[in-house]
Amino acid sequence: MLKFLFRRLLQGILVIWGAITILFVLRAFSPGDPAVLMAGEGADDAYIEQVRQAEGLDEPLLSQYFEYLLNIMVGDFGFSWEARREVEAIVIGRVPATVELAVAATVVALVIAIPLGVISGTRRNEPADYGATLFSLLGISTPNFWLGLMLILVFGVWYGIPYPSIGTSSFSLGGFAVEYPNSVGLGLFDFPTGRREIGFAAAVSALVFEQSVSELGTWVRYITLPALTLGTYFTALITRLTRSGMIDELGKPYVTSMEAKGLPRALILYKHTLRNTMIPIITVIGLQIGTLAGGAVITETVFNWPGLGLRLIDALNARDWPVIQGIVLFIAIAFVVINIIVDALYNYLDPQVRES
Amino acid sequence: MISDRVKSNLKQSLSESILPKIGLVLFIVIIFMALFAPVLATHDPTSTGYFDPESGSAYPPLGHSYDTEIAVDGEFTAVTVEANSTHLLGTNTVGQDVYSRLLYGARVSVIVGISATLLAMLIGVPIGLLAGYYGGRVDDGLMRVADTMLAFPALVLALALIGVFGERPIEIPDPIVMAGFADGMPETIPIPGTVTIVGALVIWVWFARVARGEAMSLRNAEYVKAAKSFGTSNTRILLKHVLPNSMTPIIVLATIQVAVIILLEASLAYLGFSGTTLSWGYEIERGQDYLRRRPWVSIFPGIGIMLAVISVNLLGDWFRDALDPNIDQSKRGA
Repeated sequence: MLKFLFRRLLQGILVIWGAITILFVLRAFSPGDPAVLMAGEGADDAYIEQVRQAEGLDEPLLSQYFEYLLNIMVGDFGFSWEARREVEAIVIGRVPATVELAVAATVVALVIAIPLGVISGTRRNEPADYGATLFSLLGISTPNFWLGLMLILVFGVWYGIPYPSIGTSSFSLGGFAVEYPNSVGLGLFDFPTGRREIGFAAAVSALVFEQSVSELGTWVRYITLPALTLGTYFTALITRLTRSGMIDELGKPYVTSMEAKGLPRALILYKHTLRNTMIPIITVIGLQIGTLAGGAVITETVFNWPGLGLRLIDALNARDWPVIQGIVLFIAIAFVVINIIVDALYNYLDPQVRES
Repeated sequence: MISDRVKSNLKQSLSESILPKIGLVLFIVIIFMALFAPVLATHDPTSTGYFDPESGSAYPPLGHSYDTEIAVDGEFTAVTVEANSTHLLGTNTVGQDVYSRLLYGARVSVIVGISATLLAMLIGVPIGLLAGYYGGRVDDGLMRVADTMLAFPALVLALALIGVFGERPIEIPDPIVMAGFADGMPETIPIPGTVTIVGALVIWVWFARVARGEAMSLRNAEYVKAAKSFGTSNTRILLKHVLPNSMTPIIVLATIQVAVIILLEASLAYLGFSGTTLSWGYEIERGQDYLRRRPWVSIFPGIGIMLAVISVNLLGDWFRDALDPNIDQSKRGA
């Protein structure tokens, strides 16, 4: 086990090094003189030269590369030209919102997909199976930004209250009045479609220290629509995997022998076949973390959710390379780390893998 | 390259299940829309200002109307905007015909989806075959590059690449308009060139991995060994034996990747990084600020994306089930 982890860790470090290199090369080729961007608008030539020298931008690329590599190793992700702050501070400030969204989406996906997949796999070619198959086909084919907008629209139209209790933001965008409701739903329980108001940690601490539930309620209301939007693709994918996994497992001899012994069907399904089905599902979840991160960029844009994805789009629009690099690198590192954990888990769950 | 067994499997799946039929019909419809967009369109998709003259607001789709307010002498008066019979699906927020833009959007999606996938095949398949066939250092190096590429989420990597290359549309002349079959339609259409290249750079790794796997298993095949013993050159073995026998999984992968690219292009266009305004994703973004009163501007292009992706996914499932000899016949349609 230790030997396996060590090898896996070494591979992970190689991948992260590769990611850093790719990002450095991309930045080196990106159009625009970084010194000009850093100096800000209206800076004179002398100041631009000063910035160039102070930041080491006049040095050869190779020495810039080693400096960048060293800085990353000590946790220095650079300095934002636009926000005038350390990149690591910007990234860390945005992590909680994205993690909350990703975890909520995964929970939504697992809660819906596993029962659906089991039902579909055990009742093949019955209406429930067709329904689940159609749902998963639609789920993997719908662009999630459109799904988010349709959720806003459908909830508003269903409840017939497009302008709900919280009200509407009206600001001007390119000369057009914006009519984008801040929340949709019934007055009693509406789902805000705007920026999240409170973090999970703050909501939980309010619950624990002040015995106040309303903060947690607010958190749930704000995260519902974004989590559904981000979770749908995942739900569809896991439904498909669970279905085909169950079909595979149910055809194996051990199931027949258990049935012959007269074990209850529910016990066979949930204790044995589902458990064996979970192993490939966990692997796929690990590999799909990237898709989740990509989906988060879009979902955060639709719902104005203050996470890493929304910040990445802002940075791209401002051509703020240190922030772009910082966020992309952070996502890549998170992906590698999560996959090492998934591999370790896999190793633990599957005795066959453990022995080899 | 395509054996009789494969042909008969394809036919058998098509007749057994309804899903491949739906996929095939949808795919043909979308290709037809894309090919004949200039003939099928009722208006130039780029000309603006088709508004209801009284209120100055966008037309709703046929059979619908909506209420809005206009300012007359500083007073707001409620008016009802009726549909206009020449604008089947209404007009958008800058007064462009939604139906015509839907057709042209299919063009952008189909062209980008297919060309980015072909480009990715051209990059990935040779690299994968060489790595798998020769093994050793080349192979190790490729696998590390592949792992590194896969550590970036596709959309995030695409955004970073677009940050470098910029958003450059390529103007492609429209043969139908040039030949004089559709007067008044744009003579060229802008295809998001950067998105095509970036899409290929994001997905080529999958082709390399699949080709590598195939080459690794084929390099020890009897007929390859036999060819070697005759003194056949490696290049010839790769081209005549390994490549043709690796094509089946590559075709299945390519089909699925077309769907991935269509979604990627739509997402990039939605975020404002596509470089063409004819994209479905761009149109959804444009409609979102008016979602409450003019939802059709966002609804129709979204349905377009969904149907295009569904059709390609269904074709992919069909090919996979029919072409993969390892799939148990009883599990068809899973």
